[in-house]
Amino acid sequence: MKKVSVIGAGHVGAKTTYYIAEKGIANVVMVDIVEGMPQAKGLDFTHAAPLRNYGVTTVGTNDYAEIADSDVVVITAGIPRKPGMDRMDLLKINTDIVKTASRNVAKYAPNATIIVVSNPLDIMCMVALDASGFALKRVFGMAGILDSTRFRYFVAEKLDVAVTDVQAMVLGGHGDTMVPLPRFTTVSGIPITELMSPEDIESLTVRTRNGGAEIVKYLKTGSAYYAPAASTAEMVEAVLTNEKRIAPVCAYLRGEYGYEAIYLGVPVLIGANGAEKIVELDLDEGEKALLDNSAEAVKKGLADLRSFYTMA
Amino acid sequence: MKKVSIIGSGNVGANAAFFIAEMAAAHVTLIDIEEGRAAGKALDMMEAAPIRRYRTKLEGSDNIEAIEGSDIVVITAGLIREPGKDRTEHFQENREILLSMVEPITKLAPDCKVIVAPEPVDPMVKIFTEKSGFDRKRVMGIGGVLDTTRMAGFIAEELGISARDVNAMVIGSHTKKMVPLPFYSRVSGINITELLGEGAIERVIHNTRQAGNLIVDLAKRANAYYAPASAIAQVVEAIAIDTGKILSVSVLLDGEYGMKGVALSVPCKLGADGVEEIVELKLAEETWKDFQASAEPIRDLA
Repeated sequence: MKKVSVIGAGHVGAKTTYYIAEKGIANVVMVDIVEGMPQAKGLDFTHAAPLRNYGVTTVGTNDYAEIADSDVVVITAGIPRKPGMDRMDLLKINTDIVKTASRNVAKYAPNATIIVVSNPLDIMCMVALDASGFALKRVFGMAGILDSTRFRYFVAEKLDVAVTDVQAMVLGGHGDTMVPLPRFTTVSGIPITELMSPEDIESLTVRTRNGGAEIVKYLKTGSAYYAPAASTAEMVEAVLTNEKRIAPVCAYLRGEYGYEAIYLGVPVLIGANGAEKIVELDLDEGEKALLDNSAEAVKKGLADLRSFYTMA
Repeated sequence: MKKVSIIGSGNVGANAAFFIAEMAAAHVTLIDIEEGRAAGKALDMMEAAPIRRYRTKLEGSDNIEAIEGSDIVVITAGLIREPGKDRTEHFQENREILLSMVEPITKLAPDCKVIVAPEPVDPMVKIFTEKSGFDRKRVMGIGGVLDTTRMAGFIAEELGISARDVNAMVIGSHTKKMVPLPFYSRVSGINITELLGEGAIERVIHNTRQAGNLIVDLAKRANAYYAPASAIAQVVEAIAIDTGKILSVSVLLDGEYGMKGVALSVPCKLGADGVEEIVELKLAEETWKDFQASAEPIRDLA
């Protein structure tokens, strides 16, 4: 049985653990600094196993040593975004948290693939890459699948069709500048540009960009975790089962789409070797301009990071 | 598809909503008095639907009126038990919360089945049954079904086997005096008394009785919610899909097992009408006494 470790046993980490357990694809270790909390959640999951029919183990711990030899490590640790708080406000605190987590991954699970979930995502991927010293393909982030599942749901709701028949593609940074691509968003293969008015599409893309904020606004003291965790579990499964899925992933670019040395959401082939191949879509001028805008925002975030963090 | 409303969108309520959605058992309306909370969680779950492939609808509201016409109403709203706090201590607070729901539920969903989750669950079942005037077989408490899944987990752990093959049975009150029934607990049909020594069975029973407290102690500020939520979902599924499944739920007894006017968990055949039949097991005399005695910790409540 494969082993997955989840760093951070808050709502996203715990829910990711649960989804992985239900898929039956790996034993899961949850690590958190809060004493007792990951242990309690791990135990609670085992109590639900007879009802929910999973046979894997779920263990909570405060000790990084227990992640030893994990095949995949998911980093969800970080403080959540509060209402009114910009993603960049989180930068300093979460950089420290992700750095510590990544160093421990390098120490105890040197052959793992790292999936970063902590925000601001595009920057935290760079921190994880730097602090772990892992190969580029083995460090990537979860954002595009989340943004696209939201887009899919909004399209399905608007058209009153089954969510399972909607496919969507969302590129760019995981923030207000993300780039939902209506041309590459389809219902049973039919582009939504043929099914909806430009105004409706525009309103759904705006809602997708603000998808995380919409939930924060409702919850006030928390943020989304069901959809984020579902998205993360899909990526874990793709790596563990060498599924070769193509999905938007926050990946390190070396010239693809014309960008160098930044993490940005692009379509990626995900398999046992991690982010195996970046798929370059033929974007039209408008789409490219939006992606440029998004890349600029990420570069700005990287500049903020470099103002207090020295890369190896 | 049936409509189930869940009152209280904390961890138990929200996860129950999610499990019900994934089981495709019913459309879910999540209710919370805290503005935006239920709507936010329901939206988050709908946004996970394209990946998790459920077609059930989830919506959230801070207005109790949204439960109108529900086939099933699940009550999870209540205060959680803090470490060191006895189950009986926060009874009064949860009783008030429960009583405030009697009128809206009886008015807005007069034909619904009610599933009660707040602690102490057995007195809560009795109170709701009596105050609502509902037929007792329409009001069920999450006690035995939760204790049962925990016991099954401990049996699987003790034997080092898959939890899938284990069925367990726990009856009586949802307190430390609960009555785990080793004879009715089986692994692929084989009685655990044939597979485990006395010491191991004692450990299983001890762990089952302590399970809820252990999680409270570990997590300090959180109660268990995955196992309770999956227990709720299983009862909802049995009613909404009319499966006829036999589960141990708390119901107001009227002579069954020699008890009257007290709610305790007993094996019940569950279907569209709620409790369709109370199954009376042939208990050994000692177990019978244990069952009677399990009502003691809750006797002075309700």
